[in-house]
Amino acid sequence: MTSHVARLYALAGAILVFLVTWAAAAAHPWQPAQRATATDPRVAALVLREQRLRSESVHVQQIVDRRWAHYRHALAKRKKEIATAKKQQQAWLAAAASSSASGTPSVRVVTLPPLTTTKTS
Amino acid sequence: MEQHIFRAMGTTVECLLESEAEAAPAFEAVETEFERLEAILSRFRLDSELSQLNRAGRLEACPDLLAVTRLALQARERSGGRFDPTIHDAVVAAGYDRSFELLVREGPAGSEETPPCRGGVTIDEPADTIELDEGVRLDFGGIGKGYAVDRACALLGISGPCLVNAGGDLAVRGRPRTGCWPIGVETPDGTISLALEDGALATSGRDGRRWRRGGMERHHLIDPATGKPSDSDLLRVSVAARSAVEAEVLAKALFLVGEEDAAFEAAKLGLAAVLVTEDGRTVMAGVLA
Repeated sequence: MTSHVARLYALAGAILVFLVTWAAAAAHPWQPAQRATATDPRVAALVLREQRLRSESVHVQQIVDRRWAHYRHALAKRKKEIATAKKQQQAWLAAAASSSASGTPSVRVVTLPPLTTTKTS
Repeated sequence: MEQHIFRAMGTTVECLLESEAEAAPAFEAVETEFERLEAILSRFRLDSELSQLNRAGRLEACPDLLAVTRLALQARERSGGRFDPTIHDAVVAAGYDRSFELLVREGPAGSEETPPCRGGVTIDEPADTIELDEGVRLDFGGIGKGYAVDRACALLGISGPCLVNAGGDLAVRGRPRTGCWPIGVETPDGTISLALEDGALATSGRDGRRWRRGGMERHHLIDPATGKPSDSDLLRVSVAARSAVEAEVLAKALFLVGEEDAAFEAAKLGLAAVLVTEDGRTVMAGVLA
């Protein structure tokens, strides 16, 4: 009788230990720790890509800034040249007008046959 | 009307004289004057005064060299630098390094270096001396020809109404029996006849003296602002003025600014100008418009 009960208890205990072990193993108690330390490669790739894009955007911005500075400099230079050219044209017109004020020759288009021809020599 | 034709300054010179007297001595005097001035002003003659000045940088000059230098410097100042006698090195760099008859029309590309223009030139009036800044050399080209035309016309004019035409730079003096001098101006649509009663007419363009270097077309009309042959949208410009020198300077100055500005300036100054564009149009500008 005692032996029979003992065997039952032993069997129940073994089943219990088995089930507890099963449950413990099924719960993968070691995995959360692993997950916490390992990085998803897709996330890593995204992070890398973001870093590369940020770095590229900084580089592009530097190029844009440099080109804008160059363009603004060229524009200022060109505006200065145009202003100088306009000033020179005004001066030239004034000088030429005063020199031709004493009389430009009378010229008109006629149908007479030309005596001679002026052309690029 | 008596006619006399001869070669001088690398071009054909035509003289017309309406005179009762013998024309031959007057024509001979004109030819001699052209030869004399060419011997002074040509950059292609090693023994010319201009070549001596370009080599030495300083020279006690004869009255003609002084006069042309003075006229060229005045033209440079008046034209705001569009006309410039110090383009010598730029013309040579473009390939025009010898008389045009001897120039090789097709050759390899030269140096890409742009020789500076607008160099310093000083005339010491009391000493009749011309001094050039370091590296500056003069090329009178068209203005020298214009000066010779004006001088020749003054000489020939003593004998009667006359016309002197040196390869497109021409001047007339006195009124012929017909009342005016009909001058032909070549355009893509044919020849236009302009009646000139007194004064001068000059044509500047890039369709005459041109050549190729490294496959690129070059011509002798240098833009002093760049030191290179001008990239004007005009092919040639003919302008009337009181003297051939003035007409030559005006023609070059209008050529360099291109069609739009040339037409504007001709109108503003009341000039008679004929512009031929590179796309084959003829624009009658100024008082001819």
